[in-house]
Amino acid sequence: MRLDFSRADSATASEADRLAAASSQARILVVEDDANIATLLGRELRGLGHTVDTVSFAEEALLAARANDYALMIVDLGLPDGDGLDLVREMRRRSIEAPILMLTARRRVEDRVIGLTSGADDYPVKPFAVPEVRARVTALLRRPTRLRASRISIANMVVDCDALEAVVEGISLALPRKQFQLLELLARRKNHMTPKRMIEETLYGFDDEVCANSIEAQISKLRRALREAGAGAAIETRRGIGYRLIGAGAASAN
Amino acid sequence: MRRRPAPTKDDLALLDPDGAFRDRLLADRAAILPLADAGRIDELAPLVHRLAGAAGTFGYAGIGDAAIELDEALRDGRSGTAPLLAALRQALEAL
Repeated sequence: MRLDFSRADSATASEADRLAAASSQARILVVEDDANIATLLGRELRGLGHTVDTVSFAEEALLAARANDYALMIVDLGLPDGDGLDLVREMRRRSIEAPILMLTARRRVEDRVIGLTSGADDYPVKPFAVPEVRARVTALLRRPTRLRASRISIANMVVDCDALEAVVEGISLALPRKQFQLLELLARRKNHMTPKRMIEETLYGFDDEVCANSIEAQISKLRRALREAGAGAAIETRRGIGYRLIGAGAASAN
Repeated sequence: MRRRPAPTKDDLALLDPDGAFRDRLLADRAAILPLADAGRIDELAPLVHRLAGAAGTFGYAGIGDAAIELDEALRDGRSGTAPLLAALRQALEAL
């Protein structure tokens, strides 16, 4: 990824970039001790309409990330007070789930693999082409954070998408595969309505036979399982629209 | 090593509008060359690493390429870095 001074590589955000970012103007944390790079990134991202906070130290980054709900973080690997990899691991350990784009001059495959497995979501290598970083930022901002989380909490229930189990106050719910898939989908979209069609597309493949009331039946079974487990979460029905998972007390299933 | 043309004034106006990066490059050059002459590789290495990350981003591809080659050789602890150091010197002196 090297800089090529073609018109397409102009450092000025193109109209297409601006339009792409316009629907998701975000607050972004840049963790970069190289003042020139930080200034360049800040200028470009602000040009896309984002709000940008810049810090130079890992410790400052951790404080900022805990105090603010960033939509994205750009982290340099080599920071004056520590390794960017350790910073990313610590952020993930503290359940800071914002996408992280890690910048580094370390270009080897093993370095890139370590970066990504430490919790970074993308790993562009320096020197970077400004238009490419803009595009990567826009792509990462398109990912809803909840789509990436592996553990989702709703009231007293934790849905562990890696272990494929839901736990209510320490007790695992023995959910069949389809019911867990349904719960995971609703949990990832918690508090948001999930259309019935989306559920159908998630639970059933092209060759599966789907009855007219298959989704209603799965919802009913899942509701019963949640109720019997004492889960503080409930599934709300909006007729003709879909379902949503919410903290119990506000549900109005009908 | 493949070389790219030096950036034009228009390119630099976009990437480095106030010339801050060029000022820094000049300062880096003033720091790097004496360290290279004195063979003080331990002090040289972090400066070269920083240059490897930044120079190409701001359009100084020749300096960036040379710094990357040298940075990787130093990281590996390779011997025979003199030609790489000479290439970086040449690129910096052409600034």
